[in-house]
Amino acid sequence: MDLSLISLEVGVALLGLLILLIDLWTPEERKKHLGWLATGGLAAVFCYSFSTFDQGDAIINGYSKDALAVYFQGFFVMAAILVVLLTMSYAPRIRSGISELYALTCFALAGMTFAAGASSLVMLFAAVELITITFYVLTSFERHRLRSLESGIKYLILGAASSAIMVFGIALIYGSTGALDYHEINRAALASTEQPMQLLFQLGVIMVLSGLAFKLAAVPFQLWVPDVYQGAPTPVTAFLSSGSKAAGIVLMLRLLAEACPSLMDEEWLRQLLGLMAAATILYGSLCALRQRNLKRLLGYSSIASAGYVLLGLVVLNNTGAQAVLFYLAGYIFAVLAAFTVISVVSEESDDEDISILANLHQRSPLMAVALTLSIVSLAGIPPLAGFLGKFTLLRAVFEAMETIPGLPWIIGAAMIGVVISLYYYFGVIREIYWGTGRFWEEKKPSTEPLDCPRTAEIVLLMCLFGLIGLGLFPEPMLSLAGEATSNLFSASR
Amino acid sequence: MIGLEHYLIVSVVLFCLGLLGLIIRRNLIVMYMGLELMLNAANLALVAFSHYRNNLDGQIMVFFIITVAAAEVAVGLALIVALYRKRQTNDVNDLTSMKL
Repeated sequence: MDLSLISLEVGVALLGLLILLIDLWTPEERKKHLGWLATGGLAAVFCYSFSTFDQGDAIINGYSKDALAVYFQGFFVMAAILVVLLTMSYAPRIRSGISELYALTCFALAGMTFAAGASSLVMLFAAVELITITFYVLTSFERHRLRSLESGIKYLILGAASSAIMVFGIALIYGSTGALDYHEINRAALASTEQPMQLLFQLGVIMVLSGLAFKLAAVPFQLWVPDVYQGAPTPVTAFLSSGSKAAGIVLMLRLLAEACPSLMDEEWLRQLLGLMAAATILYGSLCALRQRNLKRLLGYSSIASAGYVLLGLVVLNNTGAQAVLFYLAGYIFAVLAAFTVISVVSEESDDEDISILANLHQRSPLMAVALTLSIVSLAGIPPLAGFLGKFTLLRAVFEAMETIPGLPWIIGAAMIGVVISLYYYFGVIREIYWGTGRFWEEKKPSTEPLDCPRTAEIVLLMCLFGLIGLGLFPEPMLSLAGEATSNLFSASR
Repeated sequence: MIGLEHYLIVSVVLFCLGLLGLIIRRNLIVMYMGLELMLNAANLALVAFSHYRNNLDGQIMVFFIITVAAAEVAVGLALIVALYRKRQTNDVNDLTSMKL
């Protein structure tokens, strides 16, 4: 086996260990600066990931390092860099063990990079668990706050339940096909003619998909989202909604494309995914309507986005997958910018109510602009990245309209979701520029300037760059995404 | 003669018992036991299939599951102990600090 294939993944895990080691010799007051080490290391890994992009596909047993894997790995490392920078601005609020927070972020990232290439059920399981177990610790990292602890326990119980269901699904797939590698599963599934075995295989696939839908936060596995998003430390929430969600998507894409081509002609698979997409979009949009806690609001918005991503999976072709990849690229910048602003603004009052945003345009123009643009992008208004993301997704679905019955209903639900989401997204923007503070409090909202920590500023500038850049010049990213998905669904048929 | 179907029936029963325990019981430790039961049901099914198909991949998978379950329990029990220290309770009905 050639170890150089997984040098990126191993490098990330080693970086985490290195941070833990250096922590031993670092005096307490300087531990915060270990974040620069983490950022530097991850940036080196990020540059390295580009050098491996065009080296062609390499598949070792159960692990493929193709363009899709490299695209997602670059994506995860980018998200992790931004999250580590955000964590550094959050550091004063962490009472102990800030370097563990950096190290755990690296470990979760290692899990995600493995997930990007997982093409056997063993790899899928190990990668999912590496991500999930790390996130149990990360969400409950502020043990002294009851909310953080509580969100950790809720994530733990529901996450463990979903992975138990997934493991049982793996057992069923193995039982019906006798293989764990995706390509062997596909071969066995295509060859099998016995009705009971096919049923067992389909049941197994559904169970594994539901375990992955939990990571994606798709209905009906979305119940943990609001509480965990609210209770977890804000940088962790940001990583959860960008990295962890995308890991679920890449695992799902690969499972559907490489292990289930035998199910492609089955009507129920598309109907199931379509129903989930529509329900997820509507649930996320409707629940966000009356939400006043910013982190919960973004939690519901992230449920709705999971629905749009599923919409791209419904069509089960390369165009849909390409749209999903592009949508995600715009999505992480918007989400990370929004969480960064919330993290900085909520520090002052230790509150996440929407009214803390009042007068933000006077207090910190940069943060007001960043939050406005990220919300506008999430809402899908031109010319930002979010608009093009939603546009390419819907276009991919429109193109497949004739081949799949029932699709107009799903598109209709998505459109309604977009319209509803405009209302609550613009509630946030109204609060920034015309907010009057809390009606039940006498005092006017402050207009004092609000300091933005330097690392948070870097994150915001990078996110703004990404949002505007992807919105105005989408072609390079689109062609990268197209290249990554060019032989995803066609090759294995 | 005990065949594959007997193992599978036991495995499905164990899985349903674990799921039921997770849904019905409100004590975190007992819910956690239900989760372990679900994982072990999957292990049993994997080993049975592996034996029946004369293929060792399934048993390798079981080693992975056992290891991961141990890690999960270590983290999970630590969280439950931390919660108990903070709130003196193990009941999920008391986890109500966050609401709409």
